[in-house]
Amino acid sequence: MKESKYIWIIGLVVTLLIIIVPIISVMADDTEPDPTDPWTGVPERRPHVDHTSLIEGPFETGSDVTRRCLECHEDAGQQMLTSVHWKWESDPVLLPGRDEPVTIGKKNQINNFCIGIQSNWTGCTRCHAGYGWENAEFDFSNEENIDCLVCHEQTGGYVKSNSGLPAEGVDLVAAAQSVATPTRQNCGGCHFNGGGGNAVKHGDLDSSLFFPTESVDVHMGRFDFQCVDCHKTEDHQIKGHLISVSADDKNTLSCTECHGGVIHEDERINSHLDAVACQTCHVPQGAIRDATKMDWDWSAAGQDLPEDPHVYLKIKGSFVYEKNFTPDYAWFNGKADRYLLGDVIDPTQMTVLNQPLGGIDDPTAKIWPFKIHTARQIYDSEYNYLIQPKTVGEGGYWTEFDWDLAARLGMETIGLPYSGEYGFVQTEMYWSLTHMVQPKEHALQCSDCHGENGRMDWEALGYYGDPIRWGGRTPMLDSVVPGMEEK
Amino acid sequence: MIMRGKKLQRIIILAGIGLLLAALLAQQAVLAQEDGETAVTTLPQPQYHPSFTILDEDGVNVLDSGAPISTLTTCGQCHDTAFIEQHSFHADLGLSELTAAGETGSGRAWDTSTGIFGKWNGLTYRYLSPAEDDYFDLTVPEWVQWYGNRHVGGGPAMYSRDGELLTETPYKPGDIETNIVDAETGELMPWDWQESGVVEMNCFLCHTPEPNNQARIDTLRAGDFRWANTATLLGSGIVEEKSGELVWNAAAFNEDGELSKSFVTIQDPTSENCAQCHGLVHVDSLTPLVLEGCTPDQWSTITTGQIFSPQRMSDSGMNLPEKETLGRSWDIHAERVLECTSCHYALNNPTYYQELSEDRPAHLIFDPRRIDLGEYLNRPLHEFAKGSSAQGTLASELDNTLRRCESCHSTEVTHDWLPYKDTHMTALSCESCHVPQMYSSSRQFMDWTIIQTDGTPRSVCRGVAQEGDTFSTAYITGFEPVLLPLDNGDGTTSLAPHNLITTWFWVYGDPERPVPLRDLRAVWLDGDQYYADIMQLFDANGDGALDEMELVIDSDAKEALIAAHLEARGLENPRIQGEVQPYSIHHDVATGDWATKECNACHGDESRVTAALQLSSYTPGGVLPTFVGGSVAAGGGELVENEDGTLFFQPLTSEQSLYVLGHDNVTWVDWLGALLFVGTLAGVVVHGGLRYWAMRRNPPHEPRLRRVYMYGVYERLWHWLQTAAIMLLIFTGLVIHKPSLFGVFSFRGVVLVHNVLAAILVINAALSLFYHLVSGEIQQFLPRPRGFFDQAIEQTLFYIRGIFKGDEHPFEKTKDRKLNPLQQMTYFGILNVLLPLQVVTGILMWGVQRWPDVAARLGGLPGLAPFHTLIAWLFAQFIVLHVYLTTTGHTPLAGIKAMMLGWDDVEVHGDGHDADEGQLAGATGD
Repeated sequence: MKESKYIWIIGLVVTLLIIIVPIISVMADDTEPDPTDPWTGVPERRPHVDHTSLIEGPFETGSDVTRRCLECHEDAGQQMLTSVHWKWESDPVLLPGRDEPVTIGKKNQINNFCIGIQSNWTGCTRCHAGYGWENAEFDFSNEENIDCLVCHEQTGGYVKSNSGLPAEGVDLVAAAQSVATPTRQNCGGCHFNGGGGNAVKHGDLDSSLFFPTESVDVHMGRFDFQCVDCHKTEDHQIKGHLISVSADDKNTLSCTECHGGVIHEDERINSHLDAVACQTCHVPQGAIRDATKMDWDWSAAGQDLPEDPHVYLKIKGSFVYEKNFTPDYAWFNGKADRYLLGDVIDPTQMTVLNQPLGGIDDPTAKIWPFKIHTARQIYDSEYNYLIQPKTVGEGGYWTEFDWDLAARLGMETIGLPYSGEYGFVQTEMYWSLTHMVQPKEHALQCSDCHGENGRMDWEALGYYGDPIRWGGRTPMLDSVVPGMEEK
Repeated sequence: MIMRGKKLQRIIILAGIGLLLAALLAQQAVLAQEDGETAVTTLPQPQYHPSFTILDEDGVNVLDSGAPISTLTTCGQCHDTAFIEQHSFHADLGLSELTAAGETGSGRAWDTSTGIFGKWNGLTYRYLSPAEDDYFDLTVPEWVQWYGNRHVGGGPAMYSRDGELLTETPYKPGDIETNIVDAETGELMPWDWQESGVVEMNCFLCHTPEPNNQARIDTLRAGDFRWANTATLLGSGIVEEKSGELVWNAAAFNEDGELSKSFVTIQDPTSENCAQCHGLVHVDSLTPLVLEGCTPDQWSTITTGQIFSPQRMSDSGMNLPEKETLGRSWDIHAERVLECTSCHYALNNPTYYQELSEDRPAHLIFDPRRIDLGEYLNRPLHEFAKGSSAQGTLASELDNTLRRCESCHSTEVTHDWLPYKDTHMTALSCESCHVPQMYSSSRQFMDWTIIQTDGTPRSVCRGVAQEGDTFSTAYITGFEPVLLPLDNGDGTTSLAPHNLITTWFWVYGDPERPVPLRDLRAVWLDGDQYYADIMQLFDANGDGALDEMELVIDSDAKEALIAAHLEARGLENPRIQGEVQPYSIHHDVATGDWATKECNACHGDESRVTAALQLSSYTPGGVLPTFVGGSVAAGGGELVENEDGTLFFQPLTSEQSLYVLGHDNVTWVDWLGALLFVGTLAGVVVHGGLRYWAMRRNPPHEPRLRRVYMYGVYERLWHWLQTAAIMLLIFTGLVIHKPSLFGVFSFRGVVLVHNVLAAILVINAALSLFYHLVSGEIQQFLPRPRGFFDQAIEQTLFYIRGIFKGDEHPFEKTKDRKLNPLQQMTYFGILNVLLPLQVVTGILMWGVQRWPDVAARLGGLPGLAPFHTLIAWLFAQFIVLHVYLTTTGHTPLAGIKAMMLGWDDVEVHGDGHDADEGQLAGATGD
């Protein structure tokens, strides 16, 4: 036998291997597989190039700035021209029961808040990402009309006025030098103030999200998310849509893009996921910080009553605001029907302007939380369709308090006949609640929906009764989708 | 096809149910129309119960008689109310189990039953006097007045112990059923049951959504028993109070004299119904839950801190520590929309009926023969499924009739992470981990030895860090319940969380009786002032008032004074007694996220298993309390009195036949082991030092050396593998034994590593045994009988003397004779005694959950574990000695080197004889 000085090293290695390998293999069995890490879905934030030295003034107009931007960002103009933030109009979509696809958007349709932008452009287009949309003749193909600053400037001093033009006294140079990736401040400037003021419209978006605490929204509060972290944007096409202006389910954005795999530890909760949207439990209440408008009665406008922006305004009528409201729940598959101008209504019935589609027998539909905004708004009582009144500017209702004139001017603009007879009719709009997300500690619990004190109207949703006792919707689905049971 | 068939079947069933519902709803609509009024009901569930006439005890419509309702006749129109009353421990409360005083097993000489009719409780103090007494606290009528607040009626509020209606029981002087104590004189005077009427079982208390319990209690306290059930309906619109009288509201009835449909609110009992007597239930998720104080109305909340509510603690209105982080509900079952009746159902309710498997022939999986809904509605057993608790002794024949945790929950899929699952589950109830903490307060002790100026005793709560005006301003820290054995109903016990409430009070006479409250007040108070002599003795600071520090019986003088007062009232031999009543806790259950899961919660110096619970801040009269009899909990530990006077209950694992690894140890084992180890170490140091000293003074002669290939590859491998395994086993074993000293290691991981190492050790030992047997090398270890002892002595003498003189080793070491006689002896012992013992005890400890019977026969963990520890100490000692002796070669490191490299330099003895030739080998003691 040959003597080797280093044989012991081999021996040591072998001995250690014999001991360590079994231990590691046993310990490895023990560790549970990592659930999908939601952070993989969050885009990396790249530091933005400081534009201070790149941009020199002076700029006379907003379009001057835009021209400067386009010098370097050559493609940005064309990208913006095809975006909904520019067009305010969707791609054509075929609505149920109609023959022709139609485009939907702020540009050509109405809601039950300020009703519609047509004939009222100068007021409404303050929030358009462009300059000078003051009538139907606006040039949507001119890149120089794009407002880059409203989304990108970071001074906070950039304010838009009528027709979307920069307000008097805005320092365009400072604004242009400050540009960066859009923040909550940029998006929130318009979206938190939808409907003409803080918190008015959505019920899940308001100024509390500028500097949110953890209890307002878990993503923005706990992790300081910006809007564009979820509303991922490529080539100026921003992901996400809302059925108030977009009836199709294209370009949607869902929680499961980041939260994948077996999401909840609790099997019982996971068994809800086929029928219940994440938002239903994780957005348990609406308007948790600032009250939102729940009802708007236009028919009360024009009177000399004490004014309070949350109760009554002469130009607008009377309102009901609610804070921390319990949402309404409805089946929703991502698509919606849409009331189109000229559609005949039954004035004795509630008219739903954007009925969410889906039902208990639709396997793609889930129960969603909604804010339902009700209104009494003007309609043509002879032709039985809703009226687009002119409210802003000369002859508009807000200056003349003359409904007949406002209706005449407005309908003239959109090109629909007006009979001269008008009335007020009940309408409803659905606003899905999807922001102000609460972590599990504040999400709904079983007893919030089930049992005697539950908030769901199970029979209205199409169940035989509380599914905790009567079972889920599988029997209803069976007739539609064979083999659902096996799933 | 089968799938289709199943689906079809289900659709048909569901359709059938749907049709039935529709029919019922339609019928209701029709009925509502017939009533000529809109049936607006606030109930979310449709009301199925038909209209009915309300009858008095003579069967006459109360609209005609104006008399109080008789539930027995009214509800008896459809339901067998006599059957219901006869089969309800809620009505009975111990009436049918009355015994002679002191024979209930509670250890109290004055208890006469297992229910609150005859069983004393330290929180409420007053008691039904035994029938044979001649001096009384409560007689039956006053018991109904006093304890009727938590009694549903029927039972002792209706019948005598002989089963007669109390209204028909003839008056007997001195009899507790037909007399009442005159509060002034303490003498008995007749009670007119005809006048008061009896309290029938109160259906409305549990079967209507908003019974007026307070009006019922007030009516009972007033002695107006007959009207108590009618008062329960106050506020429903059926009954109104007019100038102090209860009057039926004709508007609530239709023209047929039946209760109008919209007033019929009969329902299955909700948790809120149960809450009226049992504890705090809060199902409204929108209003924050607030506990208003230590009020006995919320019984289980006071006794244990249990709150049945789906609300998250963070949403409650209570001031809790780190409340924001308490995202758990008060009770997971409430959160998951269970009601009290989900578990505590009527035992013949066909929905919940449990068929006892032992009743069923083996060939049947399901027996469809059972009572139908109609039969059930006619005769619903009002015996409700119940578990077993330390405090509840009533209707013990029904103990554990409810589904236990494991009847509904499978731990197979949920507790895979838990090592030694069966061992843990045998030793611990589910509640031990899943009720880790009480977040609310509860009662701690009652001191009835003193009376405050408002006539009440001192009662102290636990879990309240700072008193407030209400509990919403108080700071509530809750408490960790103490783990004590609880009967599982199958002859075994498991640890379960408990609260302990201690009571001190005066007793008198023989057999002893608690001093009636009226006497107690009378000896302390003259009106609302203390007697002058009491004031003089107790008022230490002379401020004219007795504060908390002063109003305590903490000296013989104080005790003697009060005793003298009591004696003066004719109460013989007054003395202070104390008792501890355990209350087991089964609600406030948390999900796994909140359960106790960390190994070191129990496996460490500070073990959850032996966490002590404070009983009181002082000990009135210096009397140590005793556990109330009849509860297993009593056997779980001992009372400990601290220097500051606080009294604790200290659970002891030794009392519970438990051995918690990492927490428990047998002191003498560790001492002996440590002593041997240190002794060996010291011996080695001394021996080594002497060798060094001797070497310096007397340098050893240079031995003649020869290089020999001593150890083969496999020999070296198994040796070093065993070395590593044993060293690591000793280390991991030490971590398991004293985890608190090694906080960085995960207990769970270390246990796992220890087990893997043990497996490696056993396999290695087995393989090397095989090698030694097959190769014949085993002979190396076998001592040769001839001359063995002489040679052993010679080797010993070498270590004692020769080695210091630099002598040669007595025996040459050769490849065939590697071991000297001492080594042979040592290894013989290690390999044949220590190793097998350690392996067997280790396997048994590991196998406690696999073969619990085998382990139990050998003393279970409490026997095996200390033994395993002792042998581990011996192994440690061996290693020290073994390593030291390797240094006794011609150079200190020669032996180790040889074992590493295989080549050894061996001494050659004699005159150049070849050492290989059959001479006895001998060498270094490795």
